[in-house]
Parts: sequence; structure tokens; C-alpha cells
Amino acid sequence: MPCMYVLEVPENQGVLDVAEQDAGLALDYVGPYVRITSAAPIVIDRRATGCRHAVWYSAVAGLENSVVTQHDKDALRVEAR
Amino acid sequence: MSRNSPGQAKPVHRVRGVDHAAFPTFDPNATVRFYRDVLKFPIVHSICAAGWGPERHPDFIHFFFDIGNGDRLAFFYYFGWSPQGDQTAPGDAWARLPHGTPEFFKNSRHIALNVGDEEDLLEYRRRLDESQWPVEMQVMHETIESIYTHDPNGYMLEITRQLRPVAPQEDLDAQLTIAALCDVTAGEAPSMDKLLTRKAELIVERAAAWEAEQPGWREAQRELI
Repeated sequence: MPCMYVLEVPENQGVLDVAEQDAGLALDYVGPYVRITSAAPIVIDRRATGCRHAVWYSAVAGLENSVVTQHDKDALRVEAR
Repeated sequence: MSRNSPGQAKPVHRVRGVDHAAFPTFDPNATVRFYRDVLKFPIVHSICAAGWGPERHPDFIHFFFDIGNGDRLAFFYYFGWSPQGDQTAPGDAWARLPHGTPEFFKNSRHIALNVGDEEDLLEYRRRLDESQWPVEMQVMHETIESIYTHDPNGYMLEITRQLRPVAPQEDLDAQLTIAALCDVTAGEAPSMDKLLTRKAELIVERAAAWEAEQPGWREAQRELI
């Protein structure tokens, strides 16, 4: 099951908002981190997040049994390892 | 004799910032124009020294610019000393790197000065843009905004402002990142993938306990976001 962590800071809120609106993703807190898990690959649309370049490319804090298969100007995709 | 009263032990972390960072220059005229005349950094100290020491050492001038907060940026000018290495190669007055070395690596070694707000950042941008060393880049990073140029010696200078104060969880995040980095670079073939995997383990181990030690953090976080 894909699982990634995002630090809860104002700059990452766009990523967290998009993840929260995706019914296929489950979000819960681990301290100041948000853990995002999913049965299917986690896909975050970059434009929907409104994140600027530097924020977008530093948004992933951790990967649990998962691997980043796409992280570019279009999307972030995290799949089960 | 101790100057501390009993019970007033000094903290473990006692340093107070940069006394000075020092670099060689072969062009003191341009260096003074750049730092004193363009950026308006006062010259605050200098040493005229005859060659000394156990090895061959040229006569030199060591001079210092005030960079705020009582901190100083210093240069050495050595009489009779010439730049070393292939001057057409990437690099600066201190060293030249092999041809083909990418810019990101050359520029990784730089100095960044802090300003208080956007007005001050733009004031330094104006001063540089009116000089022969205009701003090369203005970049909005994660939590800072920076302008960049290279000084007459080829050293990259960044001037930056914080977009917001550093949040306490960012200190935790930095500690976990560096713990993961040390772990993965001690092993075979370090990579970002390995670091993020190790960091997730550290998050699970430590992050909840961190929050439990930060009374009021969650409420403050809600107000911030």
C-alpha cells in the first residue's frame, strides 16, 4: 500500500488540500507530519496544489514501503514498492 | 575564577554567529568598489602584515567589511601572488575546478547575507543592478527569497530574506533528515529514495513523541495555517 509523509507547514498546505479532496487517499497525523496512504498509487496534480517550484520538489518527507515513480512539473506519483 | 554565579551554567551552544569569513582577492580595487561603494558595507578593520611564519609567506593586507550584526566579511590581498590554476576554468579567486564542472556545484559554496524584509532585499537589488555586478537571479525558495550575484572575485553572494519565522516542526524535520542522511551515506549507494525510506522510519519512531513534548503546538499550528 503506497504511503508517504508530508510535513505540516504552510507551504505544503496546497499538497495536503489536494490529497484531502481525493476520496481514494487516507490522511492521518504522525506528530507534525501528515501520513497519506492509499490502496492505489498516490497521484498529486502539481497545478492543483499551486505550489511553487521549490516547495513542490521538497514536499515529500518520507516513504514507507513506497517509491516515487513520477515527480515533475505535472504530478507526484507514489507507488507501492 | 569563574565569572558565572553558581546555578548559572553556560549553555552548551555558545557561539554567537560569524566573527569573519575570509577569502583571497587578487583585485582589491574591484572588491572595495563592490562591497564598500555598491553595497555600502563599511570597512571596519584592516591589517598590514609583513610576511611571517615558518613557510614562505608573502606580505599581505587583510581587510574587513561589516556585514551587519557585528559580523564581518574579510579578504586577503597577498603582494606578488598570482591566481592559481587555469583561469579559463570554472571557479573563483581561491580555486579553479576542472573544465565542465557544472554551475550548481561551483555555486554550492557561497555566502548568504540576511536582510529584514522585502524592501531591504529590493534595495540591495537596486544597488547591484545599477552596478557592473547586476543581480543574476531572484528566487523564491521554500521559506526564503533570495537575490544572487558574483562578486569581482567570482564568489557567489546571496542576499536573502525569510518569508516567515522557522516553525518548530522544521527543526525536528531537519534533525530527522540529517539523521537519515548520515545513515544512508554510511551505507552503499546513497540515494534520495533510501533517505526518504529511512526518514519515514525515523518519523514513525520519533514524531509523535516530539509532538507530545510541545504543549500547545497543535493549536498554534491551526492558527498558522
